[in-house]
Amino acid sequence: MNIKQQLRTVLIFTKLSTRRFFRDRLAQFFGILFPLIFLVVFGSLNSGSNNVSFNVAVLNESNTEFSKTLVKQLKDGKVFKVDKQATTLAKAKDKMSKNQIDGIIVLPKDFGALKPGQSYPSGQAQILYNQSSSGTGQTLTSVLEGNFKQLNARSGVPAPPFSVAGKQLNENSLSAFDYTFAGLLGFSIVGLGIFGPINVFPELKKQGILRRLRTTPIKTWQYFLATMFSQAATGLISIAIQFAVAIQFFHLHVAGNYFEIILFTIFSIFMILGIGLAIGGWAKNERQAAPLGNIIVFPMLFLSGTFFPRFLMPEWLQNVSMFLPLTPVIDGLRLLTTEGKHLVDIAPQLGLVGLWMIVIYAVAFRVFKWE
Amino acid sequence: MSEIILKVKDLRKIYDDKAVVNDISFEVKKGEIFGILGPNGAGKTTTLEMIETLREIDGGSITIDGIDVAREPNKVKGIIGVQPQTPAFQDKQKLSEIIEMFAAAYGVKVNAKELLDDVQLGDKINSYPENLSGGQRQRMSIAAALVHDPTVFFLDEPTTGLDPQARRNLWDLIRHVRDKGVTVIMTTHYLDEAELLCDRVAIMDSGKIIALDTPNNLIKQLLKRGFSKEQKVEQANLDDVFIDLTGKALRN
Repeated sequence: MNIKQQLRTVLIFTKLSTRRFFRDRLAQFFGILFPLIFLVVFGSLNSGSNNVSFNVAVLNESNTEFSKTLVKQLKDGKVFKVDKQATTLAKAKDKMSKNQIDGIIVLPKDFGALKPGQSYPSGQAQILYNQSSSGTGQTLTSVLEGNFKQLNARSGVPAPPFSVAGKQLNENSLSAFDYTFAGLLGFSIVGLGIFGPINVFPELKKQGILRRLRTTPIKTWQYFLATMFSQAATGLISIAIQFAVAIQFFHLHVAGNYFEIILFTIFSIFMILGIGLAIGGWAKNERQAAPLGNIIVFPMLFLSGTFFPRFLMPEWLQNVSMFLPLTPVIDGLRLLTTEGKHLVDIAPQLGLVGLWMIVIYAVAFRVFKWE
Repeated sequence: MSEIILKVKDLRKIYDDKAVVNDISFEVKKGEIFGILGPNGAGKTTTLEMIETLREIDGGSITIDGIDVAREPNKVKGIIGVQPQTPAFQDKQKLSEIIEMFAAAYGVKVNAKELLDDVQLGDKINSYPENLSGGQRQRMSIAAALVHDPTVFFLDEPTTGLDPQARRNLWDLIRHVRDKGVTVIMTTHYLDEAELLCDRVAIMDSGKIIALDTPNNLIKQLLKRGFSKEQKVEQANLDDVFIDLTGKALRN
């Protein structure tokens, strides 16, 4: 057979196994629905995490108009979630000890009253917090201080000579969901590319289907290539659906170029599938495939930033995990999708994926067994 | 007719220091149905698998149509068709697609309908293999093994587990394949099958060929050695009764 005929064989195998995917409910569940469930769960957990909010109890002992207005403002604002049940100090303290609220804001009796000789209302609010959450308490204090500063300014009191102003920048900032989304894409590539072959290959070997193919002149590279192509086709479908759901329901903002995202995704699918082909191709049966697969996949999933961002890890662990095969996939997808980078900008990631591709397929070809 | 298509010489296979195939030699002529018989563990399947390029050859040589199996396994794969002991196909693939897949593996284009018609599965062209009966699966396997018009066709215990109707049907099919000029080499446990179907048989035991001739000659030689068995006057046996009562028509 010449090379053209051999590639024709690859394309027919690709077509037939891709078509088979659309009849296989189980493969569709693990390839499409399963990552989608993760997306919805993690997406829901992360949505709204842009706004930091505090659970507080507000105890207003003052009768002034001013304090009533302030309490209403606190209740309506986004920063504070005012607990409705904690109406007395004892109840509030009890809730705080159970960590259900972060702090207690006390407005004393004379808060907001006009003191003799003053033309504006004044008062000092108290913030009570536990020792165990002093960080939160201090943040709470400064947030409230900021609120009061605006009040002071409005009331016509001259501004203090020194002040600090924080300013929020909203340009291209990454939300927690942006990190999660790239991680979840990585998860679905692993699901299809590794869990697929390590489940399917031992079964194909057990039934003698691969053995039967071995009596034909088909070569290992042809079989690998066909598997890679059909995997890329089904993987792109799965990932397109996840993009659609993320954009529609979790306000994913795609800053990058879709064509570049697709190219990088295919490249990544090829590389990750190599791990599955190596494990599934090496294993004689599922008793060999499953443990080896789990030993390789689970540490990689956690260390490569699939479920939580890698920057939360200690530095030494980041330095190690940056070289795992899945890490450049997730980083690259995040840089392209949410940070609007281009393929030329992610050369380090591309290089690492390419390097792993060579290593993994060299191993996969060597260890592959048809029975 | 007497052209040699398969030549096996001093073939040997060793597992754990034990020769499961022990220096066997035989030749198969073009266009014949050649049977390899023997009890379980005699080395039939191992011999077949070495000829089919599936097992490494530990000693001796095999040539098919002049091609050395050990040296050019890929060339050999292109001219042989293989029917495994238990045919298995990936589920959720139509029969037409399975035919297309095997044709692609051999690098040929075929008409799936014609091939399936030839094994009486034309009306199942859009079925999945998981919905086939045992006999239908064997016939499907034969169709898949013949997509590339092989010179030699190997069947490993093709009728094991089939009902009498399906067995007879498969015999007809094997003869039909032979009539198209394909050399057939098969293993079997059923001696009646070998007697009816095979032009010549080799009987194997403990890795050796202990007899090789036409079924008729083997019986004559046995009788010459003075063998006699209790004479029966009946001109029929239970098998004939069964077929007479239930008919030859294929079930399912």
